[in-house]
Amino acid sequence: MPRIHFGSWAENAVSWLQTHLSWLFDVINTVLTGMYDGVNAVLGAPDPLLMAGILAVVAWWLRGLLPAVLTFAGFALVDSFGLWEAAMATLSLVLVASLITLLVAVPLGIWAARSSKVSGVLRPALDVMQTMPAFVYLIPGVMFFSIGPIPGLIATVVFSMPPGVRMTELGIRQVDGELVEAATAFGTTPRDTLTRVQLPLALPTIMAGVNQVIMLALSMVVIAGMAGAGGLGEAVYAAVTKVDIGGGVESGLAVVVLAIYLDRMTGALNQRVSPLGRRAAAKAASAARGFAFLRYRPGTAVATVGVVVLALVAGGMNLARSGDDGQNVAAGANVGHGRGIKLGYFPWDEAVATTYLWQNILEDRGYKPDVKQLDPGPLYTALAQGQMDLQFDSWLPTTHKQYMDRYRDKLTDLGAWYGPTSLELSVPDYVKGVDSLEDLKGKSAQFGGKIVGIESSAGMMGTLNDKVLKEYGLDGEYKVVSSSTSSMLADLDRAIKKKEPIVTTLWSPHWAYGKHQLKKLKDPKGAWGKGEEIHAVGKKDFGKDFPEVTAWMKDFKLSEKDLASLEVEIQNGGKGKEKESARRWLDAHPGLADKLAPVRH
Amino acid sequence: MSSTREVYVSRLQAEHLYKVFGRRPEAAVQRLEGGADRDELRADGTTAAVIDASFEVEAGQIFVVMGLSGSGKSTLLRMLNGLLEPTAGRVLFDGEDLTALSPRDLRTVRSRKISMVFQHFALFPHRSVLENAAYGLEVQGVARAEREKRAAEALELAGLGGWETSWPDELSGGMQQRVGLARALATDADLLLMDESFSALDPLIRRDMQDQLLDLQTRLKKTIVFITHDLNEAMRLGDRIAVMRDGRIVQNGTAEDILVRPANDYVASFIQDVDRSRVLTAGSIMDRTGRASGADGAATVPAATPLADLFASFARSAAPLTVTDERGEPAGVVTRDLLFAALGEEPGVPAPRTGEAPETGEIAEAGEPAEAATPARADEAEVSARA
Repeated sequence: MPRIHFGSWAENAVSWLQTHLSWLFDVINTVLTGMYDGVNAVLGAPDPLLMAGILAVVAWWLRGLLPAVLTFAGFALVDSFGLWEAAMATLSLVLVASLITLLVAVPLGIWAARSSKVSGVLRPALDVMQTMPAFVYLIPGVMFFSIGPIPGLIATVVFSMPPGVRMTELGIRQVDGELVEAATAFGTTPRDTLTRVQLPLALPTIMAGVNQVIMLALSMVVIAGMAGAGGLGEAVYAAVTKVDIGGGVESGLAVVVLAIYLDRMTGALNQRVSPLGRRAAAKAASAARGFAFLRYRPGTAVATVGVVVLALVAGGMNLARSGDDGQNVAAGANVGHGRGIKLGYFPWDEAVATTYLWQNILEDRGYKPDVKQLDPGPLYTALAQGQMDLQFDSWLPTTHKQYMDRYRDKLTDLGAWYGPTSLELSVPDYVKGVDSLEDLKGKSAQFGGKIVGIESSAGMMGTLNDKVLKEYGLDGEYKVVSSSTSSMLADLDRAIKKKEPIVTTLWSPHWAYGKHQLKKLKDPKGAWGKGEEIHAVGKKDFGKDFPEVTAWMKDFKLSEKDLASLEVEIQNGGKGKEKESARRWLDAHPGLADKLAPVRH
Repeated sequence: MSSTREVYVSRLQAEHLYKVFGRRPEAAVQRLEGGADRDELRADGTTAAVIDASFEVEAGQIFVVMGLSGSGKSTLLRMLNGLLEPTAGRVLFDGEDLTALSPRDLRTVRSRKISMVFQHFALFPHRSVLENAAYGLEVQGVARAEREKRAAEALELAGLGGWETSWPDELSGGMQQRVGLARALATDADLLLMDESFSALDPLIRRDMQDQLLDLQTRLKKTIVFITHDLNEAMRLGDRIAVMRDGRIVQNGTAEDILVRPANDYVASFIQDVDRSRVLTAGSIMDRTGRASGADGAATVPAATPLADLFASFARSAAPLTVTDERGEPAGVVTRDLLFAALGEEPGVPAPRTGEAPETGEIAEAGEPAEAATPARADEAEVSARA
């Protein structure tokens, strides 16, 4: 079987699109960003509890008093987790994505219902959309639209489209043929047959499709979070990559609150919008017994008035509050003059630590730093496209070689701030008699014959398997279990709590060395190779746009001890409080800020 | 009959209608015209649903198409208002060729001149009874107040006054079909197509609805094509009845024609279950040459009296009854022997028809023999299957 180079064709197609149709992507990007920002601004504007009240009134209108109370409680909980803005960003993303999806899906479904040919062509296309892993088009999405909510939005639209189309088609095809015939027999035009008979009767099924679309859209937000879509997805993703169990549970719960709310509301919407639904609701109401006030549901007009009143109160409060949005920058230190600077990081601990450290320092110097978490791929792409200004965690010359090679001309290397790094195997210090890689020989039984590794794609895993184990004659004795960094750390944590022996792959710098008492196994034969250095990398024109910061970066250095203590401080501070934790650490090291970012007079 | 044909303008005519489903239907029609048989076509994957159907329906008449399921009667009905396009043949209504109309003109005809009542009512579940009845008017573009007034009148006519605000799913089957009837009547269409409209109702309700339809018909004088699989219903309602089998019309005549002179064994086998005493009339069995002795002048009956109503009289006296025509003049007599002979007569063996395979009832050839076998109807040639 000859190799069919489908992948490279796709790659060529993507790069062709990128060069020739960039104007189109820019237009799409502008429109979608506008929609998203608009919705997000509206949802995010009111005070959290007022907004929760508005959502509760909607629930009251659609479902009754008890669901309204639960709605308010659920959203108040989200607010107390400190996830309100993230939740509203996610809600905006879901609403905009669902709206776009439905605008496309319903007409397509109608078309498919009327033509078997269209239906036949659509079916495999929908199957591909539904089953193709979202990552596959998320990365090209980043290339076309850069990081931010839009690639996530597009991925969400693609992923949630199929049920919308299918349910619309099904709903229309399900309408009793005799009814359609009756409409035709009375001289109804095909269009009127659609609007007067088929759509009203298909509406319950179509609404079930809408419900599916929204739920699928919500399920995509975590994945979209990896491409910088922000919101709860980013919160979940960040928590998971940092083994922050509490943060993960909280942000996960916030997703659940949103999901249940959206599910119940769209489910109940059917009763309000479709004539059949209204009939069913009226029947159920006349049959129900119990407390009348629990069953009371405000009419549409009353509910609208409620929402409007709450929205007006929210608007009034915002007006009253605005005006005290100043920044406290020491007069002589205002180098940035309010210039925005976009800092990107992927969730590696030293990246988080330095990014939030510099966020504090740059604010003190009068800049307006904007911090965003991304995966390495999207982040390098964004830097190369000038959508991001600076990131701190380029491991060179090996780990991030591919990105640097790819975007060499479009990036500025601002120099190393840490080095050398090292890769190693580590054991807890209660494991006696194992201090060097040589000591591992013959002790596999003690460690269950396994070395806990990280992602199999990581460079150090290859080095470990191909070189280190062979060099020390361990390759038959130990098996390297690949998992993920977070699982490895979780496993390490578990073993230490139970005082079990464990060997893990680890690297320096790493906060685990600050948190646990670990021994780096010595490598007398130098099998791991030479260490790397960690560089700060800026966009192409960084030196021109930010000359002062460029100068600071050149002199920026951090010792392993300082870095580890900063990382542990941030770990202890908890998720969502990184900036405050870094500030605390900075305050505990007086004079450091002036050393790192000297102000010339 | 021949005299009435000149009085009425012919309203609905079907001329050599064919409907073939499947690939290359036109070629199939040619083969059928060339004498091919339905089963041959089926072997090729094409289905001939209606084969060479021709008939006329006079204004104000109820024309019943009777046949078992699969006989093509519903397909035939749907060609009359263009829901199905005939593969060949024409449908003329008021002299206008419906098969030649543009889709837009055809829709206009459907909304104004033809309405339809369905087997399973086909009421719109998302509309109230009044909105359902007003549907046809809504399509015509009649203003709301006007159409609701007319729909309410139609409901009143169908015996459903006062139910306007109810919903279809709150009504019994019979009431739902009244809504269906009201919907069809509200548009004031001249032609009413009824597709097994009473078949889904239970027997008592069905009988009520039949009575109601006959009652309405005396006032409204619509032209009605009524499809049924029930011969008793056909006999009760139909001014004329066409019997269909395997896509062809095998006999077309009055109830009495069918009962007395079935065109073939197939039709004959149908009429065995019919209560002849309620279909046959004194006029149909009377001895035209005989005259009552005149001694007992009181014993006269109109020609239209069903035979069932003669028993009481013969129970009192064996004397022959004088039958009078529309003008009240004596037209013939019925004796007790004649009555018993008419009811006891084994139906179905139509006079001398030699060499005819009774099971197949092939009408491509059988058309002529059928006519030949019933010379009494020779003057009504338009009703024959091969007109």
